[in-house]
Order: sequence, then structure tokens, then C-alpha cells
Amino acid sequence: MAPRQPQKGRRRRPGFAGARDQTQCRFCRGGIKYVDYKDIDTLQKLLTNRGKIYSRKRSGNCAGCQRKAKRAIKRARFMALLPYST
Amino acid sequence: METVAKRLYEGMFLVDSAQAAADWEGTLSVINNILQRADAEVVSMRKWQERKLAYDIDHKSRGTYILCYFNASGERIAGIEKDVLLSEKVMRVLILGTEKRPAEMIEADIKGEEVKAAEAEEATPEAAPAPAVEEAGEPEKADDETAAPAAEAVAPAAAESDAEETEKPAE
Repeated sequence: MAPRQPQKGRRRRPGFAGARDQTQCRFCRGGIKYVDYKDIDTLQKLLTNRGKIYSRKRSGNCAGCQRKAKRAIKRARFMALLPYST
Repeated sequence: METVAKRLYEGMFLVDSAQAAADWEGTLSVINNILQRADAEVVSMRKWQERKLAYDIDHKSRGTYILCYFNASGERIAGIEKDVLLSEKVMRVLILGTEKRPAEMIEADIKGEEVKAAEAEEATPEAAPAPAVEEAGEPEKADDETAAPAAEAVAPAAAESDAEETEKPAE
């Protein structure tokens, strides 16, 4: 049997980092150890426009950071900084 | 007799904007009284932001947030929260321990170095705020509707689920 040739084609768009290229989540990449509930701009990116929290698959967070983010979002919701889901 | 060790806590108090604008000193004194009743030593107290609330509380849509650091014993925190519940001037309070927070974050909070993004956005002319400090935030803040995480990390399949969600009628 002939050895398998490496597949040609399937060029990647330059500058596009696919899901598998990023090995770390956004917080780990930035070296953020504490997710602050007052950092609304960051937390807003983890919410849908209905106010639901994105899944880990969607947000790309690691398990630990997803938990930290969840806690921060819930604190921000209590203080009326972020909406509850509608 | 043992003295209970005091720890540093962060407290965020939410008060009505109109009331805070009318009587700022009075509002601060209400909070100070609540803290004094719990034998707390106030390290710093400052206005954090004045912004529109994400949902109405007591038929009020705007609020002023007062950020406060204080040393208190853990047993007295429940008392502070109870006093706030009974108070008519303070709408909400959130008290957190600071053990897990990095020291530089606490210092920045105490000094008030944080970006006041909401104030910069809303740009209330009467306050004539200083130009917002541009810290190294993520520049890619796209429209809220196409929520950004998709661009960052996620497979295209996930975009479909987002589309589904937005198409759902309001319940």
C-alpha cells in the first residue's frame, strides 16, 4: 500500500485563529486570576443579547475561568449592572 | 476575652441617583452610620459610577454606586446587610472578602484609577468629566447584537445556535 499523502488544499484564511489554535481561554491568555464583577465590558461579552451566559463551547473559557466568570456575572446581576436573562 | 480579627472587605452600595445628587453628604453619612454600627473601620469610600440600572429597582432606573473598603469582623457583615435592607436610602449592597483579590486590584480600586467607561459613554454634560483614561482594554467591542465571543474562539457551528436563539419569540 502506498503511504498516505498529506492532504492538499484547505487553506486557512490568514489571521484567522480557529477554535483549535487557541489553546488557552481569554482569561488565561491575559493572565487574569480574578474575574471582577465590576468589569462589565468583559462580562458583557460572555452574555447573549438576551442576557444568558454563553456555554464554555461558545465562549472558549476553561472550566475554572467559566466558574469565575459565572460568579462574577451573577454578582453583577444582583447589583443591576447586568440584566437577568429574559 | 478574645478579640475577633478584622478583615478587609469590599462593599458596593447602590443608592438612588436623584437622592445622591440632592444630598451627597447625607447619603455618605447614612452608609457611614451603617458601617459604624458594625464597628467597621472605613479605609476608603468613593463614588464608583453613576449609571442606568440593568433593571428597575423600586421603580428607579438610575443608580449611583458607592465603593467602599472597610475592616470589619466577619460576624458583623450580616448586620450590615440587615441594616441596608431596613434602610430606605440604600437599595442594594454587595459585600465581598478581599482575600482572593490581587493587591494591585484593591489599590487601584481604593485610588479610583479604574476607567469609568459608563460615564464616558453617557457623557453627562453637567459633570464635565475628565477624558476617560484608555487602559489596555480589548479594542474589539463589536455591536452587542452579534456578541463578540463568536469572533474570538468559537467554531462556526456555534453561530447557528446563536441565530436560533435570537429568532425565538419573546415568551
